[in-house]
Amino acid sequence: MAEKLLEIKNLKQHFNVGRPNMVKAVDGITFDIFKGETLGLVGESGCGKSTTGRTIIRLYDATDGQVLFEGEDVHGKKSVKELKKFNRKMQMIFQDPYASLNPRMTVADIIAEGIDIHGLAKSKKERMERVYELLETVGLNKEHANRYPHEFSGGQRQRIGIARALAVDPDFIIADEPISALDVSIQAQVVNLMKKLQREKGLTYLFIAHDLSMVKYISDRIGVMYFGKLVELAPAEDLYSNPMHPYTQSLLSAIPLPDPETERARRRKSYDPAVHNYADNEKLEMREITPGHFVYCSEKEYNELKAQNVK
Amino acid sequence: MEKLLEVKNLEVSFQTYGGTVKAVRGVSFDLHKGETLAIVGESGSGKSVTSQSIMKLIPMPPGRISDGQILLNGDDIVPKTEKQMEKIRGKEISMIFQDPMTSLNPTMKVGNQIMEVLVKHQNMSKQDAKNRAIELLRLVGIPMPEKRVNQYPHEFSGGMRQRAMIAIALAANPKLLIADEPTTALDVTIQAQILELMKDLQNKMDTSIIFITHDLGVVANVADRVAVMYAGQIVEMGTVDEIFYDPRHPYTWGLLASMPSLENDDKAELAAIPGTPPDLTNPPKGDAFAARNQYALAIDFEEEPPMFQISETHFAKTWLLHPDAPKVEPPEAVKRRMRQLSSTFEKPVLVKEGE
Repeated sequence: MAEKLLEIKNLKQHFNVGRPNMVKAVDGITFDIFKGETLGLVGESGCGKSTTGRTIIRLYDATDGQVLFEGEDVHGKKSVKELKKFNRKMQMIFQDPYASLNPRMTVADIIAEGIDIHGLAKSKKERMERVYELLETVGLNKEHANRYPHEFSGGQRQRIGIARALAVDPDFIIADEPISALDVSIQAQVVNLMKKLQREKGLTYLFIAHDLSMVKYISDRIGVMYFGKLVELAPAEDLYSNPMHPYTQSLLSAIPLPDPETERARRRKSYDPAVHNYADNEKLEMREITPGHFVYCSEKEYNELKAQNVK
Repeated sequence: MEKLLEVKNLEVSFQTYGGTVKAVRGVSFDLHKGETLAIVGESGSGKSVTSQSIMKLIPMPPGRISDGQILLNGDDIVPKTEKQMEKIRGKEISMIFQDPMTSLNPTMKVGNQIMEVLVKHQNMSKQDAKNRAIELLRLVGIPMPEKRVNQYPHEFSGGMRQRAMIAIALAANPKLLIADEPTTALDVTIQAQILELMKDLQNKMDTSIIFITHDLGVVANVADRVAVMYAGQIVEMGTVDEIFYDPRHPYTWGLLASMPSLENDDKAELAAIPGTPPDLTNPPKGDAFAARNQYALAIDFEEEPPMFQISETHFAKTWLLHPDAPKVEPPEAVKRRMRQLSSTFEKPVLVKEGE
């Protein structure tokens, strides 16, 4: 397999620590992201998938655990200079294209903000050229540079958000529900654009979403989260054809497909965490059942799953 | 089957500073008793405006129903006054909104919000209404309704709030329930529960449902019939099988092709519909979809296509069905789902105006 770009080790993000309303939003998750791949992260609202993304990029300081980007800890003490260097490599695209663009800035200034901060353009002319180039890359045109965000539709704004993320030539982009707020016909446009950029620039994506059919389409591997834990991680095809964790099975059985016949025959599974019946002393962790297919389970379940999946 | 609702040539427009926006441009459909009609389309296609017109919830002004009839049990509601409408809303027709966070009153107990309907429409006493409210909450699957009835909306989760909304909507046994994206704000597992609940209640109460959504998966799950809207018009309408297995309009093709399906594993590019919907202040001449349509014919830019009938229940508004039109192949993703349906006419029939 390709080299690791990002290693996330036992990452924890707790809010209101020490108070009665403490929330363990992310509770000890471990996974790697390889260079050039798209890792999808799915789960229901409140499962911690967005928090995971935000903690990785250091919008939150992790409570515990490590995020290693090319072997370097993201959350360690850093000088301003080091932070800047790191910020260039990792960028984020947000869910709401209406809220994530400053309404008082022109599109050119929004896109060029990163270029200015990192001093990537030597002259005004070069800066604007870079902006034009980026606009073209994401399927907008030069004339759009001097307009304000409110003049654009949702899909176009999401393109501006992508152009902004690309401005500093990042290696890794975290896309937090980038298409949830868009219309179906526009969603496909944005997904196609993201795939094209990945091919051309060798980007690595962490794609966070709850729309499982789109996630399967764009991702190489998919992680499923439930209550702050990663419960299953597998190659996209494998996860859909052979979901092992009962929560994944329940999640997959709930997605309505655009096919009336399958829908009429649909049997929904519900997930009850009590089915596991874990004893107090059982050690729960991610275990590899088949190559590349990890499930969060106990020793006993591991043996059972292993037995079921012997070819 | 008995017709509950007939919408005839409905036209709704809004006066804005930028000019008159023709949000709904001649929509006709009917709805039978106990049936679910799904209306799909992107934002701005007029699907919500259509449904709000049926409840007469359009703010007037700036909105105006400029033409058409809405017959509920044969009775036109367009000329009705606000006072008369109050007797219909909640009793005959009720509505579930997209966002359960904002459509419940945060300062009122959930129980009182249900009781409001019962006291107004069924002249129940407070105590009876409260008992009925508890019953309704139990019906929509809220555990411990005796306790929940005295709680405020903020004490409910998103899915529970949507259930409470459904309880309010169903309180007076309406004949027609309009659900405007009722599950869009919910997680998939909760969505599945709500859809099941709605179908279950429909069977018990024989309500007709108009279900507005942009999620074709949800449509396949709930609908008996489907109307596809684009730029304020219905461009295709048919039974759920006709729309999913024998679509005829290029816009429907585009919608179906732009969704990745879970089964197909080819990593080919999604067939996105290029461009964005037209501005309805100045609807384009001819077919509104022509500019985004790779199958557009020269006539599409000149003259609006008429409705063609493909079967007893299947209609599509495209020139491609005209006998003189060239044969075109739908996109690959759509061809894979196409099948021969027995009810299809030998040839598409032109629907004459005024029929």
